[in-house]
Amino acid sequence: MSTHDTRPGSAGGADTPGPLHGGPDEDYTPEQLAAMSREDLDMLGARYDGVEILHVDPGPEPGSRMEKRAVRQVGWTFAGAGIAALLFLVVYAGSGWFLPEWNWATEGTTWSAMFNPLLGLFMGLAFTLAGVGLVLYTKKLLPHETAVQDKHDGSHFDRVTTGATLVGGLHNSGLQRRKLLTRSLGFMGAAFGLMLIAPLGGMIKNPNKGNPLGRTNWAEGVRLLRDNGTPIRPGDQQPGSLETVFPAVPGGNLQSDAATMLIRLRPEQLAADRPKEGQEEFGYGDYVAYSKICTHAGCPVSLYEQETSRILCPCHQSQFDVTQGAKPVFGPATRSLPQLPITVDDEGYFVARSDYIEAVGPTYWNRERI
Amino acid sequence: MSTTNPQSDAPTDATGRPVDRARVRRRSKQRRRIANVAGLMASLVLTGSLYSVLAPAQAADDTTSESAAEAAGRELYERSCITCHGENLEGEVNRGPSLIGVGEASVYFQVHTGRMPLVRQEAQAPDKPTIFSDEEIDQLMAYVQANGGGPTLPSGNLRDGDLAEGGELFRLNCASCHNFVGEGGALSSGKLAPSLKDTTDLELYTAMLTGPENMPVFGDNQLTPEEKRSVINYIQTVKFQADPGGAGIGRIGPVAEGLVIWVVGIGALMFGIFWMGSKA
Amino acid sequence: MAATATAPGAPTSRLGKAATEFDDRLIVAGPVRRTLNKVFPDHWSFLLGEIALYAFIIALLSGTYLTFFFDASMTEVPYEGEYDPLRGTEMSAAYASALDLSFDVRGGLFMRQMHHWAALLFVAAIVVHLLRIFFTGAFRRPRESNWLIGVVMLVLSLLMGVTGYTLPDDLLSGTGLRIISAILLSIPVIGTWAHFAIFNGDFVGTEIIGRFYIAHVLIFPAILLGLIAVHLLILVKQKHTQFPGPGRTEHNVVGNRLFPTFAGKATGLLLVCFGVVSALAGLVQINPIWLWGPYNPAQVSAASQPDWYIGFLDGSTRIFPAWDINLPGDYTIPALFWPTVVVAGAMFTVLALYPMIERKVTGDTASHHLLQRPRDVPVRTSLGVMALTFYFWLMLAGGNDVIADKFDISLNAMTWIGRIGVIVLPPIAYTLTYRICLGLQQHDREVLEHGIETGVIRRLPHGEFIEVHQPLGPVDEHGHGQLAYGGAPVPKRMNHVGGARRAIRGFFTPIESPAAVELEQQRDGRELAAGETTRELTGSGRPSDGGRPSDGGRPQDARD
Repeated sequence: MSTHDTRPGSAGGADTPGPLHGGPDEDYTPEQLAAMSREDLDMLGARYDGVEILHVDPGPEPGSRMEKRAVRQVGWTFAGAGIAALLFLVVYAGSGWFLPEWNWATEGTTWSAMFNPLLGLFMGLAFTLAGVGLVLYTKKLLPHETAVQDKHDGSHFDRVTTGATLVGGLHNSGLQRRKLLTRSLGFMGAAFGLMLIAPLGGMIKNPNKGNPLGRTNWAEGVRLLRDNGTPIRPGDQQPGSLETVFPAVPGGNLQSDAATMLIRLRPEQLAADRPKEGQEEFGYGDYVAYSKICTHAGCPVSLYEQETSRILCPCHQSQFDVTQGAKPVFGPATRSLPQLPITVDDEGYFVARSDYIEAVGPTYWNRERI
Repeated sequence: MSTTNPQSDAPTDATGRPVDRARVRRRSKQRRRIANVAGLMASLVLTGSLYSVLAPAQAADDTTSESAAEAAGRELYERSCITCHGENLEGEVNRGPSLIGVGEASVYFQVHTGRMPLVRQEAQAPDKPTIFSDEEIDQLMAYVQANGGGPTLPSGNLRDGDLAEGGELFRLNCASCHNFVGEGGALSSGKLAPSLKDTTDLELYTAMLTGPENMPVFGDNQLTPEEKRSVINYIQTVKFQADPGGAGIGRIGPVAEGLVIWVVGIGALMFGIFWMGSKA
Repeated sequence: MAATATAPGAPTSRLGKAATEFDDRLIVAGPVRRTLNKVFPDHWSFLLGEIALYAFIIALLSGTYLTFFFDASMTEVPYEGEYDPLRGTEMSAAYASALDLSFDVRGGLFMRQMHHWAALLFVAAIVVHLLRIFFTGAFRRPRESNWLIGVVMLVLSLLMGVTGYTLPDDLLSGTGLRIISAILLSIPVIGTWAHFAIFNGDFVGTEIIGRFYIAHVLIFPAILLGLIAVHLLILVKQKHTQFPGPGRTEHNVVGNRLFPTFAGKATGLLLVCFGVVSALAGLVQINPIWLWGPYNPAQVSAASQPDWYIGFLDGSTRIFPAWDINLPGDYTIPALFWPTVVVAGAMFTVLALYPMIERKVTGDTASHHLLQRPRDVPVRTSLGVMALTFYFWLMLAGGNDVIADKFDISLNAMTWIGRIGVIVLPPIAYTLTYRICLGLQQHDREVLEHGIETGVIRRLPHGEFIEVHQPLGPVDEHGHGQLAYGGAPVPKRMNHVGGARRAIRGFFTPIESPAAVELEQQRDGRELAAGETTRELTGSGRPSDGGRPSDGGRPQDARD
């Protein structure tokens, strides 16, 4: 067919369908197909898809005892699934209507504790029975056929022709010759790429500005507070005790790096206490304060064993010895827990003498530099 | 969590909490303060009267004027405890600590949970069935209390604290060793924080008060008696509360859940696909 | 057929007409027929990937439901819901909405638990599917691309899991988040920058839940969906692999057509998956966030663990020694970096590149569509078992505190058991597996050569006792079988070759006594051809009395 039809107003040639596009429609006329049985048509179609039915094990004889039994089985399974689905609806919609309230309460009615299990039971049953019924159906009532389908490797013809088209297009574009174009295209592509990812720059924040990782809200004179906000006097704790304390600043007890363990040592521990060099004066009497944030992965370490003086981290089992400056004695942690220098203010409450002298929490690349 | 800070008592604190909440909180804090004072007074009165009861007796003659209970307690002590804790509760090196000043609360906890008397020296004393009767425990407590004093048993309902506050305190002070719901957990080198499953209110209270073995001590100035009651209330409430989601599988979280999905989930489905693949 | 004026074969039924109308517009009859006729091989292990797909569908549907109620905000609010042990407690809006979802939405807890169980099942099914692919060599050319996509999907599913685990903002998930933050910080050079970019500042900030939420409900699922589509398209295009067997070659697929058999079974499996997950969701409590409490950086619980699929990283972190590397200039590579970023990165890289590595080492660049039995590739099988041992041991180490607690073992001892085991056990596993593979191979050959051991002991005239062997095929003059090993299972028991008239039948109560089978057959009224395939494979007929060990050298009298 020609595409050059120059008549004004023409849609291009006679408006009749072209010839069939080859293949089965030319091999089989509608009359021929109409003369074939359904099974033959099925086989014919399968053959066109490269499938050959080798062997069919027919399903059970219609009306046979075997069929009846299978139908009964499958039927009851589906019915059971339906019943379970209905029961689900009854439990779901009926609670609080004609069944007890489903809402959970501490004193707990039996029904509120059974609501969820019943939902699961019935929905689980419904789905499982439906699935089992379907599988039973395919296994027991459908014919079993063994089919073989051909697997083709790539076609050489396709490769060569496709390659020709591709290369032809590339050749026609002349990009190989027009170097300026390829270069400017490359430049444009790179610039576009950068432009498109540039907005992600909004996520970038400088972690070294103001040293947020190395500082906490502890500072000279900041009181040590309990979680409920009360200050602490030296007489408040018994020897062998631990209290988690927070800096007396707004929101101090929600800060991730400020939590500190205030530990009152027993006399035996005090006698054995070997603080870190230069930090002998950081404690106050028999009190010492160490950061609660593990130097390994940042979990709060507070599994304090007052007899063995060990502090265990529940996440990765690093163990620190309180009487050795909270030095790690076992597990994956590498650094001691930082010690908070403490003293007592005029009113007799504990205060910090300064911020931690090192960064608290997990180690990072340039921790030592800040 | 109770997030109020005293420094931020002003209604417009940093977290932007509604004013009336802060007021309620302040009022409850006032109430707590009053309760604190009352508790302090009560304990002062109690100490005073105890002293007036005990002091003259001690001043006179130790052996003659000790009550019948104390005498019985001494007898029990000399039978079961003296090997490790010494003739006069002073303790024996490498065997047992001194019991002077540990108080009846400690005796109650150690003996009532069956930790004492010890069968052998281990990383930690395991809890066993109690070998003493309640009466014998009372006698032992009287004996130890009479010789050195120390924390005493609380009275009244030990669960009348605030549930949510108890939960907060539990998570801050207890969960790190005893797990979210008191399932217990491992400590270093063979020691462990026991499960709180079968623990009574009084055992919980005395444990907090005395800090048995490796457990830190929570004195009354650190965790007030009311706060202790709140913690107990929380532990016992959560412990007995039903699991709304079905079987609790130990309430230990992901480890048990992983086991269930592999054994039950994948197991059931493997069974299913075996069946589907098998010949009819 | 009623006479009409239209072309012969035109549909007369209503449905047929509608279908014709439909095809007039969309021209889909051809592709639909091709799809319906597509042949799928029938083997139970080929359904494992489907389980993963269905678990993903469940997670997608239940997750969509959850988004109607979840509020991914870290604003502090007091809890006013139904659960009184937390009432009045300050918590993030995310946690409060997760609690409301559990206690104040009818059936909300059920959906939440279904979502979580489906997620656990999803990853578990992917792992089992991956093992099947690995041990049968289904990743070999031309399927490397699908293997790669699969590994990427595995990683994505882990990321889905991690972000989802974090969302409720309870004390357990917050602890996990804290460790994620520390892992980010531990990356050399860019660690702090990466952390500040993701968390919008120092830990914990106010953004992270919202960001993880959008990653969890939009970014990762969208990528996953796309990859699943590509994965399946490639599968359809390349056609499924199959185990060697009678009539099965590199150039065909033997099995069932998609419609109706395969479709029926697949839909059945979909429904069973739904059933198992919803039963778990109702009957077994998962992640009871109300017991964990709201997240607070100063609080933690003993036995805080990640979900099982991250357990191996937690384990490697627990047993890794305390080795910070201090570089000149006061720079540090934290000890945490190695067991998390490096171990995970190395494991997934090796996994992803395995097909290429194997291709390089073995020089086998041919296309393969027939699967291998693990025993026939002992090195790969042993490598796989070695890697599995390594993984499993790390996972155990991830729960070492729970093990220490429940079995009363010292925690420090558990750490050392983990450290030593992770070095010692994988080589042992390799050696053992290798030996077992060779042994199984040898046994296969032996059966092919000498026949099946019948268990019948015979006394020869000169007094020698021999066990009678049933040859699987024709024998040469020495009584040796002439069958070559074809990569398919070799029958090793008499009833595998019909020695009991028919192979084992019945799933729960295998019928092995011949009398019962006969009775059963009479009742069924027709012969079912079970065990047909194996018979075809070996070409062996009835059992005969021949066969004896090779050293006999006595000619066989062919009696069958």
